[in-house]
This record gives sequence, C-alpha cells and structure tokens, in this order.
Amino acid sequence: MLRWFARRLLLAIPVIWGVVTISFVMMHLAPGDPARTALGEKASDASVAALRHQWGLDQSLPLQYVSYLRQLVHGDLGTSVYYHAPITSLMAQRLPVTLSLVVLSAILTMLISVPLASRSATHPNGLAALAVRLFNAIVQGAPTFFIGAMLILFLGVRVAIFPAGGYPASIGGRAWALVLPALTIALGTVPIMVRGLRAAMTESYGSEYVAFARSKGLPERPIRYRYVLRNAGISGVSILGIQVGALASGALVIEQVFAIPGMGSMLMTGILNRDYALVQACTLVFGLLVVVVYLGTDLAYARLDPRARLS
Amino acid sequence: MKRFKTLCGALALASTVALTLTACGGSGTGSGVPQSGGDLVMARADEATSLLPSVPTDNASIWVIEEIYDTLTVPDQSGKSVQPSLATSWSQSSDKLSWTFKLRKNAKFTNGQAVTSADVKFSIEQNQKSDAPFSFIDTVITKIDTPDPATVVFHTKKPWSPLPADMALYANSIVPKDYAGKSASQFAAHPIGSGPFKFASWSKGSSLKIVKNTGYWRKGTPHLDSVTFTTVPDSNTRATQLASNQIQINEYPSNSSIKSLKAQPNLTVSMFPSSEIDYLSMNVRRAPFDDVDVRKAVSQAIDKKAILKAVYYDHGTLAGGFLSPTTWAHDASIKPVPHDVAAAKATLAKSSHPHGFSTTITISSGSQDASSEAQLVQGDLAKIGIKVKIKTLDPSAISTAKHAGNYDMAFGLYTTDIVDPDEIARFAGTYDGGSNTLYSGYKNSKMDTLAATASSSPDQSARKAAYDQMQQIIADNVPYIPLFYVPGIYSYGKVSGFHPAATGNYFLEKVQLTK
Repeated sequence: MLRWFARRLLLAIPVIWGVVTISFVMMHLAPGDPARTALGEKASDASVAALRHQWGLDQSLPLQYVSYLRQLVHGDLGTSVYYHAPITSLMAQRLPVTLSLVVLSAILTMLISVPLASRSATHPNGLAALAVRLFNAIVQGAPTFFIGAMLILFLGVRVAIFPAGGYPASIGGRAWALVLPALTIALGTVPIMVRGLRAAMTESYGSEYVAFARSKGLPERPIRYRYVLRNAGISGVSILGIQVGALASGALVIEQVFAIPGMGSMLMTGILNRDYALVQACTLVFGLLVVVVYLGTDLAYARLDPRARLS
Repeated sequence: MKRFKTLCGALALASTVALTLTACGGSGTGSGVPQSGGDLVMARADEATSLLPSVPTDNASIWVIEEIYDTLTVPDQSGKSVQPSLATSWSQSSDKLSWTFKLRKNAKFTNGQAVTSADVKFSIEQNQKSDAPFSFIDTVITKIDTPDPATVVFHTKKPWSPLPADMALYANSIVPKDYAGKSASQFAAHPIGSGPFKFASWSKGSSLKIVKNTGYWRKGTPHLDSVTFTTVPDSNTRATQLASNQIQINEYPSNSSIKSLKAQPNLTVSMFPSSEIDYLSMNVRRAPFDDVDVRKAVSQAIDKKAILKAVYYDHGTLAGGFLSPTTWAHDASIKPVPHDVAAAKATLAKSSHPHGFSTTITISSGSQDASSEAQLVQGDLAKIGIKVKIKTLDPSAISTAKHAGNYDMAFGLYTTDIVDPDEIARFAGTYDGGSNTLYSGYKNSKMDTLAATASSSPDQSARKAAYDQMQQIIADNVPYIPLFYVPGIYSYGKVSGFHPAATGNYFLEKVQLTK
C-alpha cells in the first residue's frame, strides 16, 4: 500500500512541473504588457521601460524561466504586480476561502445526491424517481451561474436568509455567506452524481450478493448501507473526485458572481492584468489541488475496493 | 475567454430577469432624515490595488486615497476649478517661473504630526520618480523650496498655469516625510494621511474600511463614523445587494439595469457629470485611414444616436469636441457629426478607396457593450461599402496593440485626472502626450504648439482660444471620433449628500445616512 502510494506521489512531480511550465509559457506568449497594464495608459514609455527592467521582463524568456524555477525551488511565489504584495500572503488569505468552498460544496453534493439516488434506485418507477429525473434535467440544463443568480434572488433578496453575495468580516458570517455559492457549485455536480450513483445502486440491487443477503433474511436497511451503498460508493468517489478537480473553473465564475474573495477571483484578476507571477502561482496551486484530490480519490477507491490495491 | 464572455452574456440575461422580479419588492425608504454616524457600505466592481498615492492608476484606489489623504488643492464639484485644501492660498511669481503655496496651520496627520512644507516636498518628490505612473504631471517642477514650515515654493521649467490643478491630483497627496519612519511598503499597509477619514483595515479581495478622522481640520465633518468599500465584481450582484439593504451605494450599475432600479421606490439612481468621453480611434499610420476623406466618411456613416440608445440606453450625450463639457475649455460650437449615409458615400467617393474596403475593429473581450457597439458600427459601415471584421482581444492585449499601433479601428475611453484641461489636451490631442493622439498616430506640430501655448499662458481667455483651435483641428482631421460624453452613474438607498465630482472624487465627508 505504501509503495503504491509512493509511486503515485512520484508520478505527481512531472505533472506539477508540466503545469508550471505550460502556465509560464502561455502567460508569456499571450499578448499584453504587464508593465503597461500596471502603470496605466497615461504613463510615459520611459516609465514603462523602467518598470520592465525592474521586473526583469527585458530578459530573454529562457532566463526568466530559469529564475522563476529557482525562485519556486526556494519556496518563493513572487510578488503580485497588481496587488503590490507577496503572493504567499495573498494565498494565505485566499486559499482557505476556496478550500472551504470546495469542501462545503462536496459535502452538500453528497448530502443531496445520496438520498435522491437512493430513493430513485429503490423505487425506480415511483413518483419520486420521476421527480428526481425532472430535477436532474432542469438543474443540468441551467448554467451554474444562472442557478447562482436565481439563488441570490430568492434566498438572498426575497426570503433574505443568506447575504446576496459578499464576504463579511465575522467567521460565522463568512460560513453563512459560503452556503449559497457552495450550493450553486453542488447543484452543478448533483445531476451527474445522482445518475452515476443510481446506476451503480440499481446494478447492486440486481446483483447476486444482494439476492443472497435477502435470501438469508437480512432486512433492507443493512442491505442498502452495507452492500449497495458501499459498492455504489466506488463510482460516487470517482465522480466526486473528477468534479472537485474541475472546480478550478467553477470557482472562477462562482466567486465572481457571489463576490467571494477566493483563488478563482484572484486568478481572474491576474489574467486580466497580466500579473504573470500571480497567474503562475494560482495555476500551480490549482494544479496541486487537483493532484491531491486525485490522490485522495485513489486512496478512497483503494479503501473501498481492495482489488484496486492489487492492480 | 470566449467561454467566460458567453457566461457573462447569459448571466446578464439571467439577472435582467432577476432584477425585473426584484423591482416588485424591496424595503426601506429612499428619502429620509439625515443622521450623524453610521457605517456606509459602498459596493464597487474593482478592488483598490494600493493606497500609496504615487503607485496606483485605478479609480478604485484613487477614490479611496482621496478620502484618506489631503492634497494642496481640491477639485470643486463641477470639475472646472480648484479650491483650497491643505494650501489656503497660492500665487505665481512675477517671472511666472515659480508658484508659492501657503499651508493651513491646523492640519495634522492622523498620527498627531503637523503637516509641514517638508512633508509636501517629500510627497511631490515621490511622484517625480521615474517609475511613478503620474510622474509626467510633475516633470515640469525643477526644484521645491521650503523657506518655512508653512510655505512651499515650486520652481518650474517654464511658465506653468496648470500647477494649482496639478496639486489636486491624487498622486500628489501629502504623506508624512519619510513615510513617518516607515518603509514605503510598511506605510502602504498602514497609511497615514490628514484627510477626513483614516485607514482602519483591508481584507484583500473582500473589503476595505476607513473610519472618521476625529481630528480633521475641517470642523463638523465627516458625518459618517466609517465607510466600508466592498468588492463585488458582478453588477447584478451589487444591484441585488442594494435591493436587500446589504449595501447603501452601488457604484456603476449596468446600463441595462437602470430602468429596473429606477422603478424601485426605495432607491435613487443618479447620473453625475463626468469627464469620460468614449471614442472610436482610427490608425492613420495605415491605409486607408491615412486618407482624411475615409475617416470623415466613417464618421458620417456611423449612427451614433442609435448606438447611444441601444448600448447606453440613452445615458449620455453625443460628443462634439474632444474636451469634455465638464472642463472650461470645452468648445460647444463643435457639434457631433450628423448621421448621413448619402453624405458618407459622397465623401468616400472622393477618397482613395471610393468603392469601399475591408478592415477590422478591435474590441475588448468580455464586454457585451463593446460587442454590441462594434456590430452596430459594422452594420453602418457596410452601407457605404466598408466591410468590417470584429477582432476580440482581452483588455491588456488591446492596450498593448493600441500603444504599438497594431490595429485598424478600436474603441476606447478617456477621463481627466486633473481639473485643468492641460492633461487631457496633451494626452488626446498631441502625438507625444502619452497616447500618440489617442493611438491614432496622428501627428500635427500645430497641436504641440497650441498645447504648449495654452499651458504657459496665464490668461484663461488666451488658453481657451488655444484649446478651441485644438478641438477644431481634431474635428477637421478626424484621427478619432469622439462618440459620447458619459455620466458617472450610481444607485443608492438611504443616503444623502452624495455628489461625486466630475473628476470622480466622492467627497464622502459630506455624506450622511438617512432614517
């Protein structure tokens, strides 16, 4: 098990190096001058040239790449030219926000998906299963940001239970402010999760081991939790892992809509302002997040299905 | 980026539905009795980037800096002249080569230190450094003398009439000498000024709070206890936050939402005169825009009134002269070029491309307004035989392309940072003023002479005559088309006394919450 984990950890290194290199090359090849963007349209060419020199942007691309890698090896993510602040301190503020959003949305996804999938698998021809199908069709058809806008409108303005966007100073207020964006992200994942879980559960219900358990006289409840859900959980974990990995793009839009100061909105600001160091750092962190989530998924998979460890 | 643009478009649609629905609800009162104290929350699209006066160029920073620091002079409400602030009086020497400012004696920084001429000298010198974006404003100053703590003398390279207005620029805000013993970055993290509010806290990406400066030299103000600026990038979210009383002021609601906002009895939508001018630039360095008849034909063919209605919902007026009506140098006799397809065809027939040509218009990605505007221009120009292809670049790339002269036609906007017309006359009117005549590449030595004459002359009527000539030359040669004079738009709830100046200053010391 340890060797299996160590091998996967080693495989992550070239993935991260690839992410770092691709983000560096893409940012530097994209048209746009960070110094001009930082100084504004009215700054003189001499001021722009002075700043380009100060930031080392007048050096060749390979030289810039080498000094960037050297800086990374020393644990220095650089300084944001837009925020005029060290990126590590910006990350310290932004990363916990995005992680909270990701974790909360994953929890909400499970809390919504499992009962819905379970109900429609146990009563496939009932009214509830039809309602779940309808719910899935509507939620999957509507873009995530539209769902977000609707949630703001009804739960933020009409009923006014949650704030209509923003991120208050108090910890309790912040937790409360994360519910709507997390729910929005979760609702984007729920239809896929419900479909996957329902299919896996339906297959489990029709399997020989469930028939055997029933023939032994076991009640439905332990059969559902100990046999069906455990086996269906394998596909659930895979889907959740992929969806959490895709959150980088989801957070980018949702954080903008809900005015949540996380990594997504910071990445967006960085891209628009050609803040090379900031974009590269955000890409690196998102890359690391994806790798960690996939590792966690593999671990959970191995825990749920011993055959995965053998392979 | 394309995906993001599509998302934004769809979100705008979703939120229009949302706003229409919210228009039926809401609570609170739009008018009421002003009260003292309270925390005003203003939601803005962008976050401040730095509170060190010599560093930022973005309005989100500038308009907070103006609340924390004082400048020697301050723009008046109309944006046409300046008033005393830290300086109580100023005068130009008889040889016109220096300006003497007398300082207010009861002004103190929020750390208790008195404001002196040494602080003024240090502050202006920070903005003269080559990497300061607004250093070009102060390059005319050759030397700063401080004969006593209450007197500052600025020596200039040449007679320089705009200096009192230059001193109202945010980048010339007065900070304590040597940043009160701190490094620039330490000071930027905990800034100290002598303005009506003092810095309290800043949660990057989320909110910035300033609190009342109880020792402010202008007695009786500010009325508010504090102001919190929150960052809410999406205009629809800002609108819903206002509808749910989560915020009191929404900065720059989208044009499409204004009708819905106006329909809500509890909210006020106000349009303040601003110096913003939106334009369409043509690259005269490239054929066929090197031909003035081509440029004139384009101007005649564009139905500006239709664009104003469709894209700006009629919030603004058609532009004539390139200097805004908010400046005293505006020439009202220059009228917008009327939309006339027949005249445009006739003008094009006289040009080097009588039967039309193909060209591109470069627009900023993510801007639905720019996209709509470009499509309308495309339709208008097709009627006279000009085929326009729309090219999309993100904001940073478009700025680089314009500075490099690597485009055919492009939209843009400009605002002035000082109340004197000098800055914008040079920026938008001359080749060496920073933008190569608004990126058009149009060169005319007469424009340089007129700008120099205007800035050196102490006589305002002589200056006005020079600026009038500059506006006429641009109107005659059309290197770019001034399209619209655009107001500053705010929607707000229980607030009184909120009247931003044409330069954008909020003047929050005059603002009160209402009951």
